[in-house]
Amino acid sequence: MPLEIEQFLHTERLPHMWCAGCGIGIVTGALLRAMVDLGLKREETVVVGGVGCSSRAAGYVDVGTMHTIHGRALAFATGIKMSRPEFTVVVVTGDGDGAAIGGNHLIHACRRNIDLTCILFNNQVYGMTGGQTSPLADWGDRATTAPYGQLEEPFDLCKLTEAAGATFVARGTAAEIEPLEEVIKQGIEHPGFAFIEAVVPCPMEYGKRNVTGGAVAMLEDEKARSLSRAEAAALSPAELRGKIVAGILHRDTERREFQRSYAALVTRAQAEAAEQAAAGESAGEEAFV
Amino acid sequence: MELWHSHLLREKVDQSSLLVQGNRACALGALDAGVRFFAGYPITPSSEIMETMAYELPRVGGVFMQMEDEIGSICACIGSSLAGKLGMTATSGPGFSLMQEAIGYAIMVEAPLVVVDVMREGPSTGRVSAPSQGDVMQARWGTHGDHPAIVLAASNVADMYRLTMAAVRFAQRFRTPVTLLADEVVGHMRESFSPELVGRYRLTSGDFDFTPGYVHPDLAREVHPPHVLGSETHPHVTGCTHDETGFPTNDAHKSERFLHDLYDKVGNHRDELCLYDMKNEGKGRVCIVAYGSCARSARAAWRLAEEEGLPVEVLHLYTLFPMPVEIIQQVARRVEFMLIPELNLGQYAREVRKMAEEWTTVIGMGKIDGTLITPREILDQVSRLIGKYESV
Repeated sequence: MPLEIEQFLHTERLPHMWCAGCGIGIVTGALLRAMVDLGLKREETVVVGGVGCSSRAAGYVDVGTMHTIHGRALAFATGIKMSRPEFTVVVVTGDGDGAAIGGNHLIHACRRNIDLTCILFNNQVYGMTGGQTSPLADWGDRATTAPYGQLEEPFDLCKLTEAAGATFVARGTAAEIEPLEEVIKQGIEHPGFAFIEAVVPCPMEYGKRNVTGGAVAMLEDEKARSLSRAEAAALSPAELRGKIVAGILHRDTERREFQRSYAALVTRAQAEAAEQAAAGESAGEEAFV
Repeated sequence: MELWHSHLLREKVDQSSLLVQGNRACALGALDAGVRFFAGYPITPSSEIMETMAYELPRVGGVFMQMEDEIGSICACIGSSLAGKLGMTATSGPGFSLMQEAIGYAIMVEAPLVVVDVMREGPSTGRVSAPSQGDVMQARWGTHGDHPAIVLAASNVADMYRLTMAAVRFAQRFRTPVTLLADEVVGHMRESFSPELVGRYRLTSGDFDFTPGYVHPDLAREVHPPHVLGSETHPHVTGCTHDETGFPTNDAHKSERFLHDLYDKVGNHRDELCLYDMKNEGKGRVCIVAYGSCARSARAAWRLAEEEGLPVEVLHLYTLFPMPVEIIQQVARRVEFMLIPELNLGQYAREVRKMAEEWTTVIGMGKIDGTLITPREILDQVSRLIGKYESV
């Protein structure tokens, strides 16, 4: 009997392209289950990816999907959502795609608070191009382009997106997939810009240079480092280093959502246009008299 | 559909015409052609297109967005096009440079798209309000890889209106980006303009339909069936070379066929795409081949030439790419010189020379000081060419 998620899965394209031990497939599975639970319609759902391992998740989801250019998935998604507001639009991106080359689009999508859901798969490395360092790699991490260790500190993307105006901010890990699935579901339902950071292991390109042990050890490590917002509140900044603060970290239902604001603007502008047309006609008649 | 959406533009000059700026005429043409999605980023000398759209689009239920940069703008436009609402953006050189990667994406995924580039002097920041035609080869070859390009060039306010409509039609019919080039002076000039006036500008190349909202019912043979996100087919769209399933392919034969189809759908329809106007056909020893603001000078030079008894023809090109090979070669066979005035160092002259030098001498006449080429300068060059010929 086919699984329920198969209605949203391009089974003919399996096996997928990701390496053994990769966490992207685990999180993609959570997205598919969330889509089933929410009862999304295939013809009204669009999944958009940029370029990179994570973005390729779009190609396995059997709804309208786009594999776009590097860093710009949110901009494409913005056009789709504004053109067809009834669509549910989910963006799948990675730490390089979303936070480096696409960083500007990310903060502006947050600021706009447009009703999109952005799942950023954070594996701390450029996997597809062969293990170069990323803006989410930790200080000291080794990569092909950081053979002596990364000298830059990483972003805290959840703090960044909250500050930029996202109204739903959450984090989860591939190691604890059920809470992440729940968060994705709530993010899609949230009427505004939802940002979800999914921490996923990349044993092939990140792990082999930085972690002792394989995929399982990396998952166990993610689990060990995870803690809730309440638990995090009790820790000092020094104690929080290297920890993964998971769960829903920020939710705001007051901030205006862009697409709805725009729809209201259209109503106003059309009324004004109709008024002016009517006034113009009568003015014309008066001029005739 | 009602022409003349604009409340702002109803500043009547007389009963039949309006004094309209080129950039505003472009926006009006887009609205009258049915464009309902515009995303852009401010840049001189194109911003008035965006400003007009910001005011007008909400009034007709369309979408206007000021994005965070030109890359975001064009990507939002492509997203909208693939969701079923053709996207349009407008920019100038620096922004056009930023858009190049996404233009290639639109070609690859066969998304209809209209990009207006109001050209200013470059490279880099250059001089923002100095007219130029320096982006001609960028419009042809700006994005990487082998690809087709449809590039139109406007020479006056009426052109800005009607060629925007043409761009929309071509983009929809051939499902590919169409670039409309305007020199700064064409974007910023104000001329009296009315729909009747547009109707009076005939194009030699045929019966172009300027009906508002016109969408050609059939697609060119080589155009693959459209991907529309959210439709029953829920397609996958990718910038990777793909096959008919929409998914990437590494098959050499399929890749080659796909890329050839992209080329052929444009190249095989030159008769439809190549818009031009021929003046004094068959009566000249020199043919001035011109586009944009230089075509205005060329037309004026032709009138002066009539008075002075110089045998001059003018080939006014509205479509730069695909190149109107047939008409260029036809003219090349009968004239002694082809003179090409342009506000760059011979970008288009080089292209014309490639296909005409077997029959005629192609002389480029470039200018890059940010001033226009005058009719007298063109005519002086014509006199020199004819005089030189006669002294031999």
